[in-house]
Order: sequence, then C-alpha cells, then structure tokens
Amino acid sequence: METRSFADYLRGLDDPGLLSLFALRPDLVSPVPHDIASLAVRANSAPSLARAVERLNEWQFQVLEACAALDEPMVEKEILSVTNPSAKFVLPHLVSMALLYKSSDGYRLPSSLREVLGNEPAGLGPASMAKLSMKKLDEAPEAAKKVLEKLTWGPPRGSVGDIRNPGPGIAWLLKENFLVPFDQRTVILPRNVAIYLRGGKIHKHPSPNPPVLTGRLVAQKTSDRAAIANVSTILRWYEEILNFWSEEPPSALRAGGLGVRDLKTAAQHLGVDENCAAFVAELVYLNGLVAIDADDRILPTHAFDIWLTQSPQIRWRSLVSLWLVTSRVSGLVGRAESKHISALGPELDRVNAAATRRLTLETLSQHPEISPDLDSLLALIKWKAPARRNPGLQGDLITWTLREAEWLGVTGQGAISKYTLALLNGREDLEIDSELPKPIDHILIQGDNTAIAPGRLEIAVARVLDSIADIESRGGATVYRFSESSIRRGLDHGKTGEEIKEFLRKTSKTPIPQPLDYLIGDVAKRHGRLRVGNTSSYLRCEDPTLLSQIVSDKKLEGLPLRRIAPEVLVCDLDANEMMIALRSAGYMPAAESNTGVLITGQRVSRAKSKPRPPRVIGELETPTEETLAAALRALRAAERSSHKQTSLREIAANALGSLPRTTANETLDLLHKFIVEGETLSIGYADNNGSVTHRIIDPLSISAGSLIARDHGTGEIQTFRIPRITGVATL
Amino acid sequence: MTDGPLIVQSDKTLLLEIDHPLSTECRRAIAPFAELERSPEHIHTYRLTNLGLWNARAAGHDAEQVIDTLLKYSRYAVPHSILVDVAETMSRYGRLRLEADPVHGLILVTTDTAVLEEVIRAKKIAPLLGVRIDAQTVAVHPSQRGHIKQSLLRLGWPAEDFAGYVDGQHHEIDLVQNGWKIRQYQELAAEGFWHGGSGVVVLPCGAGKTIVGAAAMAHAKATTLILVTNTVAARQWREELLIRTTLNEDEIGEYSGSKKEIRPVTIATYQVMTKKKNGVYSHLDLFDTHDWGLIIYDEVHLLPAPIFRFTADIQSRRRLGLTATLVREDGLEGEVFSLIGPKRFDVPWKEIEAQGYIAPAECIEVRVTLTEQERLAYATAEPENKYRHCATAVTKRKIVEELVKQHADDQVLVIGQYIDQLDELQAVLNVPIIKGDTPIKEREHLFGLFRQGKIKCLVVSKVANFSIDLPEASVAIQVSGAFGSRQEEAQRLGRILRPKADGRTARFYSVVSRDTIDQDFAQNRQRFLAEQGYSYRIIDADDVYQGKI
Repeated sequence: METRSFADYLRGLDDPGLLSLFALRPDLVSPVPHDIASLAVRANSAPSLARAVERLNEWQFQVLEACAALDEPMVEKEILSVTNPSAKFVLPHLVSMALLYKSSDGYRLPSSLREVLGNEPAGLGPASMAKLSMKKLDEAPEAAKKVLEKLTWGPPRGSVGDIRNPGPGIAWLLKENFLVPFDQRTVILPRNVAIYLRGGKIHKHPSPNPPVLTGRLVAQKTSDRAAIANVSTILRWYEEILNFWSEEPPSALRAGGLGVRDLKTAAQHLGVDENCAAFVAELVYLNGLVAIDADDRILPTHAFDIWLTQSPQIRWRSLVSLWLVTSRVSGLVGRAESKHISALGPELDRVNAAATRRLTLETLSQHPEISPDLDSLLALIKWKAPARRNPGLQGDLITWTLREAEWLGVTGQGAISKYTLALLNGREDLEIDSELPKPIDHILIQGDNTAIAPGRLEIAVARVLDSIADIESRGGATVYRFSESSIRRGLDHGKTGEEIKEFLRKTSKTPIPQPLDYLIGDVAKRHGRLRVGNTSSYLRCEDPTLLSQIVSDKKLEGLPLRRIAPEVLVCDLDANEMMIALRSAGYMPAAESNTGVLITGQRVSRAKSKPRPPRVIGELETPTEETLAAALRALRAAERSSHKQTSLREIAANALGSLPRTTANETLDLLHKFIVEGETLSIGYADNNGSVTHRIIDPLSISAGSLIARDHGTGEIQTFRIPRITGVATL
Repeated sequence: MTDGPLIVQSDKTLLLEIDHPLSTECRRAIAPFAELERSPEHIHTYRLTNLGLWNARAAGHDAEQVIDTLLKYSRYAVPHSILVDVAETMSRYGRLRLEADPVHGLILVTTDTAVLEEVIRAKKIAPLLGVRIDAQTVAVHPSQRGHIKQSLLRLGWPAEDFAGYVDGQHHEIDLVQNGWKIRQYQELAAEGFWHGGSGVVVLPCGAGKTIVGAAAMAHAKATTLILVTNTVAARQWREELLIRTTLNEDEIGEYSGSKKEIRPVTIATYQVMTKKKNGVYSHLDLFDTHDWGLIIYDEVHLLPAPIFRFTADIQSRRRLGLTATLVREDGLEGEVFSLIGPKRFDVPWKEIEAQGYIAPAECIEVRVTLTEQERLAYATAEPENKYRHCATAVTKRKIVEELVKQHADDQVLVIGQYIDQLDELQAVLNVPIIKGDTPIKEREHLFGLFRQGKIKCLVVSKVANFSIDLPEASVAIQVSGAFGSRQEEAQRLGRILRPKADGRTARFYSVVSRDTIDQDFAQNRQRFLAEQGYSYRIIDADDVYQGKI
C-alpha cells in the first residue's frame, strides 16, 4: 500500500523534518491533523500537492517532472542522468516538501502527485509495455523520422486520418511498436521511446539557473530622488481625489463600483490617465478613506480627516502596506476585454495578486540600482514562480505592479527606492518625513490674480486657499487663480470679504495687488444680496398693520410665522392648515394660486388621481367532462410509473443490503486499493438534495477530488465527488 | 532637492522664480524649448508644448539637453512622466523629412519605416503623396508641400523641411544706418529668422518690428512681398523702408484698394488680398505670378483664413511673420507654426522696457458708477446688447472729458469700439476723429498733424488698433472694446509704447462701468498684459475729479 508506506515515511521523520515540512506547506497544519495517518492523507491529497507544486521554481519543477517520468522507485543516479547533475541539490528540497520520499529501495512519489502533474509530465506519454529495440529507430525510414521529430518533445499525441490506413511512416512506427494507437484517430509516442529520442533527458531546455536580470542602471540617489517625488505626488493625488469627491460625490453603479464617466472625471481632475485614477480610487477605498453611502454616493469617510493630520511617512507606510497585501487588482479596470469590471466594484480580486506583487518587489530589491527590462523581469519571475494555471495574468500582474510601484514611489525611475527597502526590512523610520520638502506656509500673489505656493503647503493654509481660489497647475508647487466664482465659493463657505483679505495679507509674502483687492471687495459686496430659502406657505397683506396684529396675536402663538418683509409673512405650515388656523382665530384669509389668482373655495371634493378600479377576478369555470377525464388519465399514468420505480429501488436495496459506511480516510484508501484491483464496489452516494442512493460501480481512477467510475445503473462512466461518497463496500 | 529657481509642474508648466540669483541664467536655458506663458512680477510661467519642443528640435537642441536643463535648475524632483514625455515628443520631430530630390522632385524621407507606413495610410495624407520610391521614401506632389506639413503636424509627426527655398528675383537691399542703429535684439531676431529659413518673430508693440523686417530683407536681397493690415500701415511701412534702407520711392509699390502697383518691394493689404470678385479671390495671384524671394506677414496673429490657404501653396518661398502677441483668439497657432514657420524669436515685454526701447507704461482702470437710469436701462437690455449699453454709457463721457483736460500737455488718443459713442465724444471734446469711413488721405493728414503736435488729442476707432506709428502719443483712453479681446488690449497699449523723447511714462486708461459686464470683460482683456507684468491700478472716477491719479 503506497499511502501506508508514505505514512510510514512521515512517521519516521524527526521533529525538525516535520517542522520544515510544515513551514514549507503550511496548509498541512491548518487545521492540525489528528495523527500521522491523516497527515499523510492530507499531504497526499491533490489540492495540497497542487499548492506545494505551485511553490516550486522552474528548476525544482523540472526535476519533479523528471521523477514523475521515471518508474518507481527511482535512484538518484537515474534522476541526475535524465536531468542535470545540479538536480542533486534540488532533491533534498523536494524531499523536505514531501513531494518525494525515500523508501528502502529508492525515491518514490506520493501516489496522487502524478495526477497533479498530469497524465503527460514533460510531454511524455505512457510507457510502452512491449519489448523495444531502440537501435531500430536509427534505421527508421525518412517519413517515420519526420513523425518522430514532431512528437519527441511533446505533446506525445499525434492525429492520423484513419488508424487502419496510416501513411507509410506511421505504419512502420506502429508495426515496430514505436507508436501506440490510442483511438480511431490518435497515436501516442511511448515514454521510453521519447526519452531515448530526447537523448536520455527529459527536458529540452533544463534551466537549473535563473535567467539574468537585465536593465538600465539607475544610481540609488537618482531613484530615491525620483521616488520621493512620486511619494509626494501619490499623497497629493489622495487628497485631491478625496477633496474632489467630497464636493462632487459620484454615484456608485448598481452593480457596485465607480462608473466609467466618473472615473474619467476623476482622472481629468487629477491630471492623470484613467488607469492611474482607477489605481488611486482603489487605494483610497482600501484605505477606508471613502465609503459607498446608503444613498449610493461615494463619499470620503471621517478617516480621511484623521488621515490629513498624519505625517507623510505614516500615510505612505499604510498605503504601501495595503497595496502589498490586497488581492484586488486595479489594473483590470477599463480593459477592453473586461469592460464590466469597475474600480471599487466586485470582481477585482485575483488569487495570485498579492503573491506576485511581493515576488516582484523581492526581485527588485534583490537587484537594487537596476530599472529592469520588462521582458527580462518577466522571465526571471516566471522562473521563480512558474504560473502554470494563468501565465497571461501573471505577466499582466507584474506589468501592473511595476507601473503601480512607480506611482507609489516604491520605485523611482524603475529601480527600487531606499524607502521601500526600509519598509520591507521593517525599519521604523523610512526617512520619508525628513526627505520630503518641508511644507511651507506662504504664497506669492501676483498682478494677474494668481497665487503661487512654491512648495507643498501646510494643510490649514491649503484648505483655505482651496476654498477661495481655483487650482490651475499642480506639482511641486501649486498655482492658484482667483476669480469671481472662486471668491464667491469662499464666501459661500462662510468667510467674509475682510477675512479673505486678512488671510491673504497674512499668508502672502508679496502685497495683495490692487485688482485682487477690488475683486474680493466687489464680490463680497454683491454676495448674499439675494436670499433664497424654502417655505411652505406665505401670508401677504397690503396693510402691514394687519400683519403686525397677526404676529402678536395670542391665539396664533403656536404658528411658526416669520416676517421677511413688512407685507409678507412666511410659515412652515401647509397653506390649508394656515387658513384653518387663521379662520379659527377670526381672520378671513383667501387662498391664492401660484400665479397669484384668487382660488375660490371648492364646493365638492374630488380625488386628484386617476381612477384605478380593482381588477375583476372571475370565478372558475365548471370543467368539462373531457378535461376531468384527461386529468385523471395523467394522474394514473404518473402513479404507475412512480410505483414501478419504487419497486425497482426496493429490489436493488434488498439485493445490496444496507448502505455501506466508511470514514473519509478509509473511503479514499479503499478506492485507491480497488482501483488497482479493479473490483466492483457498492457505494452510498449523496445527491444534490442530500438523499443518499446506493450505486454499484467499477472504479476507474481518482482525480482532483472526484472518482471516475462506471455506474452499473446507467452503464455510463460518471464522475462521483469523493466527499459525497458516504461509504464503500465490496459486493 | 536642490535650490534651483525652477519648479517643474506635473501639468508641463515651468515656474521660474524671478528673484532667484540663477533666474536669468535659467531663463536663457529654458527659453529655446519652453513657451513663455505669463511674466508677472514674481514668478514667470513657461509651458512645455509639443510645438515648443519641436521648435527646439528645429533649432538644433536635443531631448537630452532639455532634460539636463530641467534637472539642473529644478528645485524639486522632476516628475518622471515629464521627462519621458519630453524625450518622446522630441523624438517625433525629424523622423520625417521633406527633401528636394533631383529625380523625383519633392520627397518625404523617413528614418523609421513604421512611421512612414502609418502616415501614408492616413486618410488626409494619402491624396497628397505620389509614388512610393522605396521603403523609406515616398514622392510628394510639389504643390502640396504646405498641406502635407499641416496634416503631418496634426497627426503628431511634424516633418522637418529640408527642401530649401527659391532665392527669388535678386534685388539689392541694404540697411542705411545713418543717425540710428539697429538694436541688438532686432538683429538677433533677423538673424534667427534667416538661419531658420522661415518663421515668426514675436516682439512687443513699439519695439520696431518694421526694422526686423527691413533687416530680413537686407539678408534676402530679393524682391519682397509685404502683407499688412491696412492702407495706413502700408504707407508707414513704405516710409520706414525709405528711411531705413537703400530702397527708393520707385522700388516700393503699394497694392491696396486704391493703388495696384507691383514693384520689387510690394506692400499689399490683407483686405485687398482677400477681396472676392465673382466668388474668386482675384488678387491672390500676386503671390504666385511673381518670383518673390521673401514674404513678410505683418501682424500675423490677424492673418485671415484665405491667406493661410494660399500660404500653403508657396512653401518654397521664405516667409517671415511679425507679431506682438501670438495669441490667436481663434486658436490657429498650429497653422501659423506649420505654414509660416516656428517661432524664431521672442522676448518678454518687460525686458525690452528695461532696455529702454519701449516706454514704461502705467495701466489704470477708471471705474465709473452708472446713474440709476443707466443701470435700469442696462438691467433690462437684451443680453446681446448688454455690453453695448454699459460700454457706451453717457457717464463715461464726462470722465473722458476730465481725463483729457488733465492731460492737456500730452498727446492723447481716445480709442473706442462704437462709432456713435466716438462721434459723441468727438463733439464734446471738439477734436478730430478717425474712423472706418475717414478717407485715407484725411487719415494721413490727421496722423501727420498729431505727430507734429499740432493736434493734441485724437478720437480713433478700431482702425487705429494696429500698425499706426504715433511716436509721441503718451496717453490712451479706452472707452470700449471688442468684448474681452486680450490681443486688442495689448495692441492698444502698444500705440503709446514708443519711447518718449523725455522718457515720460505712458498712461493707459481704461474707462469701465462698475458692476456690469464691462467690468468682467475688462478683467479678461487685461489678462494678457497682466501676464506680461503690467499690473493695473483701479481708481474711482471721483478720484479723477479730485485730481488723485
């Protein structure tokens, strides 16, 4: 029994051995297995093995593949001969990951590993049982050699028009057993033949060494300088997008997320492209600085106010750390092939995003002062972590990571910055606060109604300026323009003209030019001359004394009346209620329509809405005799068939006895065993609704958590999910 | 972080701190590739534009130099995207070249086949091309030299024009420098133009653009066509050329509404060139039927569209554009670049003022308060008439009277947009008026009297906006204008910028009705000058009456 001996091997491991296994495959201890037997089962399960295989680099994977291509047990010499002498250094690692284990007669693979690696590891077909004389291959006719050339490096299958009438080359190969017919149209090259043709090796390009990273040299100082500029830029983008959204909150799409148009507006506001805007939007979302409110508006949260008070270093650390761990991939937004994916929306999570990001950064930090060429970096990372499931996405993820790293200031001019190295090394002080230009507290106002802040402004000053001037240009410095509308905005925010002037006098290093002074004065003078408000009803009277009387009338004390002009009172009550109140107090008001016409009292009340009478629900018609008869016929037929089925089931149950029950571990063990022995089994199988049925099956193989077996009931080959098998028994 | 004077913004503007010790050095370094956008008192704004960067390439600067300059003077780290963008933009220039080929005539040659493939597939370009000669070369119809340059510029692949110029018919022209000397910047401008082949020279009003034209002619020594805005300007050109060059009266012809002379040097007006007869521009042949060696476009910012079209056809002749403000309210700066040529010379107004070649000027906005009656009329006027109502308010008349009285010793121009307003002012002030229907002879007579100081005050309509040389005018009073036109305001100020004999400061008054759109337009109009460093002072009409100017 293979598993038993794998379990025995694990049982034989010492503590350090087990510890290193757990460190390399943490999924084995979550949750902690009861005993070594269940540990062995888990370590031999397809998902866990697949996860372990994912963690191998290209070379380790190649060696493992080579092992899988050999017959068990393999000896080290054999493995080295089909790969490369340096495989010697890889084998201990594979062993410590329990992807390979030593038994008394040599190395063995955990039994499920071959399934994980696929039926044709390294493009090799099944081994041929026939006796072959490889020498004959050298004498193969030209046509046959051509066929072999195509199949040698895999895939080992070739299709032929008709197996009974193949071309001369294939006919010769079939005759000599160098090709094996697979089905009507397919032939397969046996493993031993392929290995012979490959010159006793498994891989065409064994890659024991990682590819060399090439790129442009960037002095650390240069990249730090560029990075710090990027750091201050991303922090500025953060503030700008949030300030912008607090003024003009976008609405979330029904499916969640930020619409294309809103993204475009935000991009324009920041002065960046949409990819970058999506990235910033995603980051502020991750940071909890915006939330989607109940009314679907996307608004900054209170966390933003706290954020503003934090030092740049703390802010940067928090956003880079978030970026490193998130599984959300903003690069997916706005691609032609995935139009439905939006920033802040669902569907942005990708399994390998964080891992790839981390790997990319690790690679960059192992190669400081280099701005790598994309292709070279892709090749290196592909070697380090071959993404067998979705290689295209890995490439995209790396490209995006580089792009985002530059935006974040994680890199500067493509090379990793010292701030990032400090962050990755867990240092306390990243030196960001000390190297960012100090915030300044003054501006220069010029004759053309612009103000220039020649550096990053202190937050308090920037806030006031934002409210009274429009930003014209952003970057290291900020250019503000004063205009009538910007000053008006400031006044709307509750400042007076004098306050604005005072603020500018205090903040500006240069005197306020006279035109600006006048502009502020002019706008302040006009601001608020017109007043707008809401009210429900008004009361007007040509005679102000009557209104004065009403205001001071004790009987009307409860009415919320306010006098806005000598001849006008306003009230928050509805006009009708106001009339009733006035009438009961002895006044004689008349109603006025919104065009000022007197409304005469209605004599009769009528509903305003359209009539909507209830629907008439008719009674059931008396059925005809024919319909009744037909119904009866249908009923009977159904009854008969269900009766038939029930009795069939009963017969089967009696024949098979009660449902077999085995534990999960036993089930798997037994299945493995009986697959090898090729016995017919009786199993209990739960269907979608949870009811367990009895099946008689011939098990064929197990793969990825499913049993493939021929069901006697249907006569077809079917897939059974192993967790749903309640038990296994022989007949 | 260094202590440089320059801040490079992420929107491609460059802020230059003027009070910084390195500012002059830095300005010289960035001037070749960055366009000066604003030059108020403390911080000048330059902008990196595609045109500017291509200009720099045309003048022989490469991306590396530009990037080095930015990095050298920048106070903060330069955004990476800008550096990438500069390199990319500059590399686009010169990948396509127009060349003269002995066999095929005009050809378009590339160093980058992919670019050529891209452009010959463009819908707008294909009809302009002839046969494909090889992978890198394609023939161009010689008549399409201008059009193809225009279209390529729009595609973002500007072509460098190496096809050369025809010399034109030789004609001896030299400068005669007796009693005056060409100024250094004028010489630089003329040389810059000559080495570049074709292009635009930007100089403030009153800085002597005519001399630059004359110097260019002296370089070319060939028959010259000069295009000017109107007849009076044409006569002034003629007089200047007679004084400044070896040309004599018979060698200079005037081609205008009244005269149709064609001489070795011909001065034509835009108006006559664009006059249509039976639906065709009958005078445009003037460009073609004579072998001009040089064509000068005065006030190129006003160049009318038909002339653009025609200019496209004469790309083998040297072209010089002259202007004070390359601000086109119609946004056709790109056409000027591709058809006349890139900007070859530019100098901030204040720098020339500092050298004493233009008079220092003080700009004053005088605010008048409308009477109740006027306000009511303004408030109820139709929106399209509102500006007219407030700009021509009767209240303005009194203050103009007062200003003219206070400047009794100065040569005063009263400038306005609306003829009836000017007529009224003329009647009140009792001075001559020049407007559109004043005959040329009368105009010249009046301008002559004004120059001699026999008339102290003139009322002029927009005919006097440009190219009228009135050296002694030292006060201008603007009562109304063409809405918010920035360029008009600059031109009007230009009328009084000739340096005065006694070094007096010129005064530019703009009379504005308070709390109306007149005030809003005034603000817009002033923007260009404010950006050039002319700060306006606002005073109330009452202050004028009390003599507190």
